[in-house]
Amino acid sequence: MTDTPRSALPRRAVLAGGLAMVPAAAISQRAEAQSVAGLGTAEKPIAIRMLANSAFSAQWQSLMVPEFNKKFPHIKVTIDGVPYNEHLAKIMLDLTGATPTYDLYAIDDPWVPQVAETGQLLDLKKDANAWTAADYDWDDFNAAPLAASEWKGVQYGVPLRCNMLLMFYNRTHFAKAGLPAPTPKLTWDEFRAQMPKLVQDVKGTGSVNAWAISTYFTRDSLTPTIWQGILSAYGGELIDLQGKPGFNNEIGVKALQTHIDLLAFAPPGARAHGFTESLQAFRQGQVATMFQWGSVFKGTAVDTASTTLKTDEVGIQVMPVGTTRPGTHRGIWNGSVSRKSANQQAAWALLHWLTSKEGERFHANVVGAFPARKSTLSAKPDSDWLVPVYATLQHAYEVAQAGRMWRPRSAKSDRAQSILADATARAFNGDVTVAEALAGAARQIERLRL
Amino acid sequence: MTGATLAPRRPSRRPANHRRRAAILRQARIWSGVLVCVLFLLPIAWMVLTSLKLQRDIFTTPPTLFFTPTLETYYNYLWHNDLPARMLNTVIVACGAGLISIVAGAMAGYALARVKLRGAATIGILILLSRGVPPIALAVPMFLVARNMGLLDKHITLILAYCTFLIPYVMWLMRGFFKALPDELEEAAKIDGCSRFGAFFRIILPISLPGLLSTLIFSIILAWEELLFALVLTNRAASTVPVVISGIAGDTVNGANWGALTAVGTMTMIPVVIFALLVQKWLIQGLADGATKG
Amino acid sequence: MSSPSTALGVGGTTRRQPRSRRASRLADLFARWGFMTPAAVLLVATLAYPIGYTVWISFAELNLGTFAPDEWVGWDNYLTAIEDERFWDSLAVTGTYLVFAMPLQMVLGFAIAFLINAQWKGRGVVRALFLIPMVIAPVIAGGIWRMLLDPLWGVANYLLGGIGLGPIDWLGDPFWAMFTVILIDTWRWTPFVVLIASAALLSLPRDVFEAAAIDGANWWNMLWRITLPLLVPVIAAVFVVRWLGAVKMFDIALAATHGGPGRATSVVNLFIYEEAFRSLKFAESAAMSIIVLVLTMALTAVFLRGSRYLEERH
Repeated sequence: MTDTPRSALPRRAVLAGGLAMVPAAAISQRAEAQSVAGLGTAEKPIAIRMLANSAFSAQWQSLMVPEFNKKFPHIKVTIDGVPYNEHLAKIMLDLTGATPTYDLYAIDDPWVPQVAETGQLLDLKKDANAWTAADYDWDDFNAAPLAASEWKGVQYGVPLRCNMLLMFYNRTHFAKAGLPAPTPKLTWDEFRAQMPKLVQDVKGTGSVNAWAISTYFTRDSLTPTIWQGILSAYGGELIDLQGKPGFNNEIGVKALQTHIDLLAFAPPGARAHGFTESLQAFRQGQVATMFQWGSVFKGTAVDTASTTLKTDEVGIQVMPVGTTRPGTHRGIWNGSVSRKSANQQAAWALLHWLTSKEGERFHANVVGAFPARKSTLSAKPDSDWLVPVYATLQHAYEVAQAGRMWRPRSAKSDRAQSILADATARAFNGDVTVAEALAGAARQIERLRL
Repeated sequence: MTGATLAPRRPSRRPANHRRRAAILRQARIWSGVLVCVLFLLPIAWMVLTSLKLQRDIFTTPPTLFFTPTLETYYNYLWHNDLPARMLNTVIVACGAGLISIVAGAMAGYALARVKLRGAATIGILILLSRGVPPIALAVPMFLVARNMGLLDKHITLILAYCTFLIPYVMWLMRGFFKALPDELEEAAKIDGCSRFGAFFRIILPISLPGLLSTLIFSIILAWEELLFALVLTNRAASTVPVVISGIAGDTVNGANWGALTAVGTMTMIPVVIFALLVQKWLIQGLADGATKG
Repeated sequence: MSSPSTALGVGGTTRRQPRSRRASRLADLFARWGFMTPAAVLLVATLAYPIGYTVWISFAELNLGTFAPDEWVGWDNYLTAIEDERFWDSLAVTGTYLVFAMPLQMVLGFAIAFLINAQWKGRGVVRALFLIPMVIAPVIAGGIWRMLLDPLWGVANYLLGGIGLGPIDWLGDPFWAMFTVILIDTWRWTPFVVLIASAALLSLPRDVFEAAAIDGANWWNMLWRITLPLLVPVIAAVFVVRWLGAVKMFDIALAATHGGPGRATSVVNLFIYEEAFRSLKFAESAAMSIIVLVLTMALTAVFLRGSRYLEERH
């Protein structure tokens, strides 16, 4: 309201001004009503459904949704879980229907291009811009996690749960072997020299009962990510910027060979080890180091029901340094909104809240998901054991961004990954030499025309 | 050899030590059967044992037999994680599919085995042909059809989907059982004035009760543990236990929780075992009836 | 041997038959077809579209945006499958697995059925308990056996070490990995053979055996001359059902060995599953499914002919 004394304004001007304000007021009221309706009202609540991985869907439903409902009481959220192996197929099957069941999808890192190419995902920076708060601060996200749901310049999702391939180590083993505990500056040459000493007797039984390393060795689509982490550390690239295979060279052979050579210092039966087995070997205190996804940290270092290790025994950092930089690999779960959803605003409200600065802090402290924002990672977490994890995550994001350490970025990513997995398995089994395996994989991937 | 105790006793002309040898052989037969059963169940015993362990006690070297047992896993998964609802869904779907399949399949098997029908053999082969298609190929089109008809995530959809693979099996198994029956049965029924259906339901079926019930058990078990169709065709309302198991096993965040998996495995096998034990009573009953007839 | 048509039509005249006769002939035809109809109708209604769709997209490119077949590509998908050495490798692996697993499960199943069929109080309990391996989900079965056979954590090598035999790399050695998959599959499916076989043994007519016993036939003769011939229809049925199930096996391989080491246990259905659900190559996996269907049916026809021959001989 202005300070101009009313008597100074001509009556007609006031009337005109008043009349002009009526439609404006009506418009803004309607907009406000619309945005309120978009988020539901007490009489007409909105129901949205999300398709997530069954590993965390139940946890989200019981821990995350009630907290969300404190801020948005009229949005009813149902989160369905699906096992990882069938998740991508279910997303695609749902998206292609006339009226999809789900408004929101949790999409794993390598699937984003394929799902985005269907054209059924919302462009968050454009289509959801009106519903994004001014202080959301996209730049606060670390580059690597945010890029996981970006495709051809469009931001299709936000990072919900961040996972990086890291190196866990057991300080007790290193101490018993008379070696200094690893630091992020550890190089592959140093590590290679240390490994023989880490095959030792830590329990005092007289026979070897501890080994140097456990990780993915079995035939699995995630096994290649291990030698990819080594490849990146040596400056190599899995797929170059033209979309052609970049691993069919000396560096690639050296990386895969290093991975295979790790078997010599791994526990018996490591040939068949995948995610669960390598994890259990470390949790039982049977190996000194583990290349593993960071999300297992809590169950490995903190949760006494699932591990025999103590929190201060377990260290975490990036994988060793090659010639150029340390190694890691990105694995981010992203949240996206379906274009066919009737409740896009409410759906985005959930993702927006979860990945906002306050929301992410809650998500990290209470639910245990790893954050992507620089502000969250630099603030002090509620639990002390998260401090080294946050530091490692921040480091890993920067390293991953610098070395483009992720799976092939293409709508045919899973096909390329399964070709790599097959070639890796055959190299491990000795069916072909390392060079032949990589050459064969390169040939097949080139035919895919990523 | 086959339960001679039910036969009327004839005056035995064999000397006493033959009878003693027969008795010893019979004991040996019984106890070897029990031994084989125990051997087959050793991994199950390991599974139940593992379900009582904390996660950190499962992957030990050497494997531990003595540990502090915990019922925490059972508690977590019995009351939380939706398991009771999923179990109910599994029961509904398995029993529904089993019953429909046994009725339709037994009748079809009878048609193949004992009824002169031109073209029935061809239909039988075609039905069997449908089993040659890997189910993965069928899951997607079934999903599309179900979605177009608005039948996603409903029990009836799963029941019908399961019937597609149960009916062919039931049909071929029952055909085998019916073929082994003596030829004169239908004639005797005709003379007694029974219609074809009457003969089937009142004479053939009761005699084939062991085969029928065994096939029913088999169908229900197959439907009980079916995973692929359940994954594709359901989301939450009609989701079954195998989907839960697959989710726990494929936990990509924290690793497969083997305490939970073995607990769920133990919990899901109990209803089926109880069901089979109950069915055994009918089986024996049917056998006794059959014996007096044959 | 199917029962002969009964009184109807026997001794019928060749002249025009009275209305009632024709009507009752028609009624009997309906009655006879009535047995086949429920199954046929149900299956056609539920399977016609899926099988048609599978054949259709095997000749086309799949549009992932709508999951509808796009453009016709003729035999391209089939050629891609045939040129893929992974497909042939997986067929060879499946063949090896079938050659060993099928006879083992049949023989073992019938032998055990015979053992547990002895008449005693605990017979029902033993039979019910024997079903348990069938009920355990493949993921759990694979995992339990992995745990038992693991070189580091498993009981198996622990016990083997106790009697002085060296540790076996059950999962890491190609030969032993295939052995493990066959072992787990046999463990899970022999109970099925036992279930059906014991029902068949129970249904055997007693009088034939008594007559033979009176005539002084010994155990071996009774087995070969009487029991087996009487069981041929059931043996054939069980074999076909088990065969069709074994061809589709992939969950055991996936759970126990992931198809490794190398490609040692990558059975064809595992390959098709991975192509369909991981790589989303639905059209190509449909083509592979059709190829597998044709191969399976060809072999099934051979088995059926063989069993028909055996049935007729006895």
